[in-house]
Amino acid sequence: MMNIAELPIGALAIIVGFGIVNDFTERLQELGLTPGTTLKIIRRAPFKGPLEITYGHSSRLAVRPNEGAAILVKQIC
Amino acid sequence: MTTSATIAFVGTPNSGKSTLFNVLTGLRQKVGNFPGVTVEAGIGIVTTGGKHFQLIDLPGTYSLSPKSRDEELTLAVLQGRESTLPKPDAVVFIIDGTNVEKGLFLFSHFAELGLPTIVVVTMIDAIKAQGGALDDITLERELGVPVLSVVGHKGIGIEELTDQFTRLSDFAIPKKWVDSSIEHHERYSSARELAHLVINIRYNDKRSELLDRIFLHPIIGPAIFLIVMALFFQSIFTWSKPLMDGIDGGFGWLQDIVSSTLPEGLFRSFLTKGLIAGVGSVLIFLPQILLLNLFIVILEDCGYLSRAAFLVDRVMGVFSLQGRSFIPLLGSFACAIPGIMSARIIPSEKDRMATMLVAPLMTCSARLPVYALLISAFVPATLIGGFFSLQGMVLGGLYVLAAVSGLLIAGVFKRTMFRGSKLPFLIEFPPYRMPSLKSLFVTVWNRSKEFLRTAGGIILVLSVVLWALTEFPRTNIPAGTTAIEASRMQLEGSLAGQLGKVIQPIFAPLGFDWKLTIGVIGSFAAREVFISVMGQLYSADVSASDTPLREILATAIGLPTALAVLAFYVYALQCISTLAVLKRETGSWKWAGFAFLYTFILAYGFSFFVYRIALAW
Repeated sequence: MMNIAELPIGALAIIVGFGIVNDFTERLQELGLTPGTTLKIIRRAPFKGPLEITYGHSSRLAVRPNEGAAILVKQIC
Repeated sequence: MTTSATIAFVGTPNSGKSTLFNVLTGLRQKVGNFPGVTVEAGIGIVTTGGKHFQLIDLPGTYSLSPKSRDEELTLAVLQGRESTLPKPDAVVFIIDGTNVEKGLFLFSHFAELGLPTIVVVTMIDAIKAQGGALDDITLERELGVPVLSVVGHKGIGIEELTDQFTRLSDFAIPKKWVDSSIEHHERYSSARELAHLVINIRYNDKRSELLDRIFLHPIIGPAIFLIVMALFFQSIFTWSKPLMDGIDGGFGWLQDIVSSTLPEGLFRSFLTKGLIAGVGSVLIFLPQILLLNLFIVILEDCGYLSRAAFLVDRVMGVFSLQGRSFIPLLGSFACAIPGIMSARIIPSEKDRMATMLVAPLMTCSARLPVYALLISAFVPATLIGGFFSLQGMVLGGLYVLAAVSGLLIAGVFKRTMFRGSKLPFLIEFPPYRMPSLKSLFVTVWNRSKEFLRTAGGIILVLSVVLWALTEFPRTNIPAGTTAIEASRMQLEGSLAGQLGKVIQPIFAPLGFDWKLTIGVIGSFAAREVFISVMGQLYSADVSASDTPLREILATAIGLPTALAVLAFYVYALQCISTLAVLKRETGSWKWAGFAFLYTFILAYGFSFFVYRIALAW
C-alpha cells in the first residue's frame, strides 16, 4: 500500500482508503474519489507542485502532494 | 416589484449553473446582501407569461455538508434558515451532462430536503457531438421530477425552461432515491449506475486533454502563463489609460464649465472640487474594474483560471497562499480596488482574507506620480556601470520591496489569524469551453454596477468630507492676492491644515514638517493628490508639470526627509477608496480599519528607519 504522492506519472491505482478522516478526505469522496475508484496520475506542476489525477467520467483534479498523501492506493500498473 | 415565486438554482460548481442564470435573468440582477465576506450569489428577475419570478443563483456545492461559508449559504437558503431570503418555492437543479455522476451524487442528498424540483441537464451538445444521448425518460422515472435539457450558452432549451416557471405545479418532490444512511461510496455507486443508464456513452474530453498537453507542459505551460499574465497586466495598466484619461479630461472640462459660469465662492468650490471631483474619483476606477473583470471572467469561463492556479500554486504556497491569490495581487499593481474585488475567485475564505489584506501593499499606479516626483527631485540621474539609471533602480527597488513584504506579511497572516482552512484545497479542471458572450457581458456589467452602488457611494461621501476639511473654515483672503497664494492661504487655515499642524508632532520623528503632514492627509483622497496639495502649500503651479514643485521641494526639504516620505508611501494605505472596497468585500469596517492600522505601523516604522539611517549617513 502506498499514497498517491509516491506514484510515478502515468501510474494507475485503486483507492484502498484514507490515512486520515477530515474535511479534505470527505470532500474527495464527495467528488467521487471513493474507495475502490481507479485513478491515474497525469502530471505534476513545476517545482513539486500539485499533482493532477483523473478518474471516473473524465473527472480531473489536482491536489497538493502533502495533502494527497492521505489518499492510500494500490498501484495496478 | 412583487414576484409570484422564488426559484433557487442548485448544482455543483462548473455545472453551467451561473451561465444559465445569467442567460435567463440578464441585466435584471442584484447582488444579495449577506452579512460577512462577499458571497457570489446572484438574485435576478425573469418575467414570463406576465408574471415575475425571483431567481436565486446559489453557490455551487458538492454535497449538503458545507465546507465553506458559500456552501453554508446554499444549505441555509434551501432549508429556509437565511433571514435575508425567502425559502425557495421551487428548485431548478442543474446537472452537467458531461459529468452526470457528480450531479446525481449531490441530487441524492438534495432529494432529502423535499423541495419541488425540476432537473435541467446542461452541455448536452457536448454529449451529442460524441454520438451520445440523454435518456430523459429514465432519468425522470428514477428521480421522480421533470427533466429538461438545455445548452445555456447557445440559448437552446431556454424557452422551455421559462415556460416551466408558469407551471410551478409541474415541479415535483424528488423520490428519496437512495437510502439516507448509506456511505459515500455506496451513494456514488448508485449515482454511477444511474449515470450509465441515462447517458449511453462515456464522455471523453480529448480536446481538453490535448490543450492541456500544451498549457500544462513543464516548459511551454509556464511560458504561456507568463504571456497571459503580462497581457492581463497590460490590459489593466495600459489599455485602461485612454479611458481613464478620458474620464479625467471629461470631469476636468465639466469643472471648467461650472467654474466659468458660476461666481467664485463656496458653492462653486463644492460643485467643482467636492461633487464633480468626487463623482470623477469613483468613475475613474471603472475602466480598470471593467477590464480586470472581463479578463478574469474570460479566464474562468474558458477554464484556464484553474490551470493558471495549478501552475503557480507551488510558488504562492511558499507564502502560505494558493495559486488563485496570484491574480488579485498582480491586479493590485495597477490598482488595489479591482484587485481586492477579484479576490472573490479564491474559494477559501481565509486565503481570500489574507490576499485582500495585503493587496494594498502592491505598488499601485497612483503611487507612481508621488515616486516620480520625489525620485526626480532627490535621486541624482547618474548611471551605474554606465547602463543602469540610479533613479530607475530606486523605483524598481520600491516595487520589489513592496511586493516581497506583501507576500511575507500574507504568510504571517495565514500562519496566525487565518490559520488552517476549513475548505480543503483542490483544483478542479473543468473542460475548456467557449465562454458565453451574453453571460460574460452580464457578469462584467453587474459587477461594475455593484461597485458603483456599494463602494461608489462610500467613496463619494468620503471625497466630499475630505473636500469640506480643506474648505472650512473659510479664510479671509485680502483683495489682490494671486489665485495660487489664495489657495495656499485657504488650505493652511482649513481644518485639514490645522489638523496637519496638530498631528505634525506624530510625524516629526520621520522628519515631516506640517506641510508634508497635510500632504499625507490630503492624499487620502488618492495618493497622487499629494502632489497637488504640496503644490498648493508651496504656491507652485503644478497644473502643467511638476518641474516648479520639484525645484522648490529639492531646496525646501532635505534628502533624509524625502527618502522618509518615499518609504512611507511604500506601505501606507493612503486611499479612502481602497478602504471603502475592503469594507465592502470583507463585510465590516473592522478589517478595513485593521488594514489601515497595520500598514500605517509598517509605513511609520520603515520611514523612521530610513530617516534615521539617512541622517546618520
